[in-house]
Amino acid sequence: MANKNVSVWSSIPFWRRSAAWVTGFASILLVWLTFDSVGQITMGTDADIQKGVTKRVPAPTVINYKIGYKMSAKRGHEVPTIGEKELFFGKEWSPKEAAALLHLGKLTSQSKNCMDCHTLLGNGAYYAPDLTKAWIDPAWQNGGPLQGMTGKNTEEEAMAEFLQHPSQYSTHARMMPNLGITADEAKGLVAFLKHMSSIDTNGFPRNFSKTVETFKAGGSHAH
Amino acid sequence: MLFESFTDVVPSFFGWLNQGPMTLTIFLHTLIILPMFWIYHSEKKKLNK
Amino acid sequence: MLTSIKTNQFEGNKSKELAMMYFRVALILFGAQLLFGLIAAFQFIFPGFLFEVLDFSVARTVHINALVVWMLYAMIGSVYFLMPDETGVETVNIGLGKLAFWVLTAAVTVVVLVFLLIQVGSGTESSIWLINEGREYLEAPRWADIGIVVVVLIFYWNVFATFMKAKVKTGIMTVMVANLMALAGLYLAGMFFTDNISMDQYWWWWVIHLWVEATWEVFVGALAAYALIKLIGAKREIVEMWLWIEVLMLFGSGILGLGHHYFWIGTPEYWWEIGALFSALEPVPLVAMFVHVLYDWGKEQGAAHAKGEVGSVMKNGPAMAWIVLNAFGNFLGAGIWGFFHTLPQVNIYTHGTQFTAAHGHLAFFGAYATILVGMMYIGIQYAYGIKVMKATFKSKMGVFLIAFGVMGMTIALTIAGYEQVLIERAELGGGWNAFFTAQEMPWYIQAQLWRAIMGVVTFVGFIYLVWDMLTIGKAQASQLENAAVVA
Ligand code: HEC
Ligand code: HEM
Ligand code: HEM
Ligand SMILES: [Fe+2]
Repeated sequence: MANKNVSVWSSIPFWRRSAAWVTGFASILLVWLTFDSVGQITMGTDADIQKGVTKRVPAPTVINYKIGYKMSAKRGHEVPTIGEKELFFGKEWSPKEAAALLHLGKLTSQSKNCMDCHTLLGNGAYYAPDLTKAWIDPAWQNGGPLQGMTGKNTEEEAMAEFLQHPSQYSTHARMMPNLGITADEAKGLVAFLKHMSSIDTNGFPRNFSKTVETFKAGGSHAH
Repeated sequence: MLFESFTDVVPSFFGWLNQGPMTLTIFLHTLIILPMFWIYHSEKKKLNK
Repeated sequence: MLTSIKTNQFEGNKSKELAMMYFRVALILFGAQLLFGLIAAFQFIFPGFLFEVLDFSVARTVHINALVVWMLYAMIGSVYFLMPDETGVETVNIGLGKLAFWVLTAAVTVVVLVFLLIQVGSGTESSIWLINEGREYLEAPRWADIGIVVVVLIFYWNVFATFMKAKVKTGIMTVMVANLMALAGLYLAGMFFTDNISMDQYWWWWVIHLWVEATWEVFVGALAAYALIKLIGAKREIVEMWLWIEVLMLFGSGILGLGHHYFWIGTPEYWWEIGALFSALEPVPLVAMFVHVLYDWGKEQGAAHAKGEVGSVMKNGPAMAWIVLNAFGNFLGAGIWGFFHTLPQVNIYTHGTQFTAAHGHLAFFGAYATILVGMMYIGIQYAYGIKVMKATFKSKMGVFLIAFGVMGMTIALTIAGYEQVLIERAELGGGWNAFFTAQEMPWYIQAQLWRAIMGVVTFVGFIYLVWDMLTIGKAQASQLENAAVVA
């Protein structure tokens, strides 16, 4: 006999079992998804780059190549491109050397706490520019104001110079402080930034290349 | 949609399910919700006893 | 409250006494959080302020770490407080609990001093072990991480063993015990180093998101359930049924809602759909929690009136005010402000702007600060043996100015975020030049100014709050005594 006064909807055991099921199963799905995602964001190898295999996170040796950011018709947004070879701090880095340099850069980024002023991949603090694609920012390229102010004639040397003496090269009242970054650490940081710019971020930041194009066409909207 | 070439970087199970409009998320929501019907009926049986 | 350790009447309940120790440190750290937030906010307006002395990154690190740590203190305190009531037995090992408290407090002090005085290290592993891990919210160096794990294990063992001794296992305690294990376990996901920034951020979000949008929310659900029973005499069966529904909805949406942080960090595109549609459901339980609190309050009040009782059913005015504010703030800050930017179509523009900061402030405040302050008031009431604690002028000023200030900051930051999204992101496509162009817009600068002003308002409210907490117990306890003498 069904009792009119007891409804499953107000029964604690029903909700308790449902809660346990939903929580448990959502957790299992997350773990499954995590295996898939972690596989996809594991760093590629030098061989991948040479064979032109696209990896979401390329090998550290990507610092030996030109990095671009181009609209992809297939993906519907901009994706990083790995172009022809270019020297990085005047040389080509072996897989071992490149990995060591990236390691130094990542460690320095944490011990100097870049993330509590800047965003990396869009996460962090909002006091200073997002660094996800800083490497391909036209301001750092040949003829750009940031490279120009350091008096260096390659992008990597200009960035490294800035990072070692940021408060000497102020462009705005809001300055980056001197964090005691050494010449080696600065090289590592630049490698870290260049590597980060080669990560496939599904089109974030959007339209970054627009600034590049307008810049190349003789000035950006910013003025 | 289903037969178009794969759009993400690497094909994967979840990537394939993601090819259609909201297919992946509807699939996952359904998987989570469906067994609750069974829980409902088994609780109802218990309550009726 | 700070003086209550000597004047209180703990009736020999050591667990609640331990809870008050945690509450006291939580309140001090809350004050530190606000002070360093003000420093960081002033640096937006006067960039030269403390430049190369105490830089923005240092102020911000202390601001957000004090935030997380004071909340963890208040959460541990709340568990020690409610455990004797929920289990009916005394907490098994108070001595060890006290030891853990002192170890944690010593560790926190050292970490803060290192943040302030040493600030940064060289690019070596030892900097990450000893000085700064440099990952937002998890800046504490590795040695401290390990210390925290040990302290939390002690705490958890205390909770678990007490729970096992209890004759009746209440729903609230069952949820607490299961949830705390997940909460503590998640911390481990943040304790490793990798050269791969995508991998780094992937696991970083496991800690941050699965804390604030899953385990901490469930914790708040359990706490609110306890507080409703305690404050207005809500029926346990109803409250606990709601609690299980909340757990279902919070975990059901929040666990896979994690995907809303995997849109742009290098992870596959399928997260767009998963993140969007699971996180879009996250506000649903928050609405439910809001309705639940108001419904129970109205129902108990109605029932009391029907019985011919006059006045309010509330046994603790200030605590109830903070808990109603919680129901509202959780829904508004997490639910509404979260939903604003949770779809990838929106988030591609708002990601990492002041808009995020607007949401972060209102959500953390609305969902957590409020209810934890409410628990502190419940603690004070108990410590002084007050039957019905009434809000004073100071309690009202505290709750009003803090709520008004945080809401004001949120609105200011939302406007700043809007400018930033349109100018820096939509019009100029991001980058160094785009960033500064937006930062120098007059309306953006005005918004930053208003945020600082509203921050000061918040701080004034905080002073009222502390003043109230220091005096309310003694004043109302002595009123009770006087009334007894007169009668
Ligand atoms: C105290 C805050 C703070 C910290 C910490 C900080 N920066 Fe900066 N950074 C700034 C500010 C402010 C600017 C803008 C300076 C300017 O344009 O004059 C800036 C500019 C930059 C730029 C040039 C702008 C661009 O978009 O390319 C780079 C590159 C950079 N920082 C990298 C780093 C790295 C790497 C770290 C960590 C080692 C770091 N910063 C730590 C505040 C900080
Ligand atoms: C109490 C619960 C919540 C708290 C305390 C909270 C807090 C935060 C904080 C502090 C951040 C910024 C993290 C950082 O520093 O990078 C953040 C980001 C975010 N939150 Fe929440 N949140 C809560 C609930 C929600 C809900 C319910 C939603 C969605 C409906 C949501 C959506 C988001 C999104 C999309 C971001 C990423 C913003 C970005 O891309 O920059 N949050 N949250
Ligand atoms: C006196 C009042 C306060 C002031 C002036 C203040 C100021 C600030 C500033 C300047 C930042 C850095 C934002 C950025 O990177 O651009 C910040 C971050 C943050 N604050 Fe506050 N704050 C205050 C109170 C609070 C309160 C009450 C809470 C929560 C309970 C809170 C939670 C946070 C969080 C979670 C972040 C990180 C946000 C993110 O990364 O998105 N703050 N605050
Ligand atoms: Fe989240």
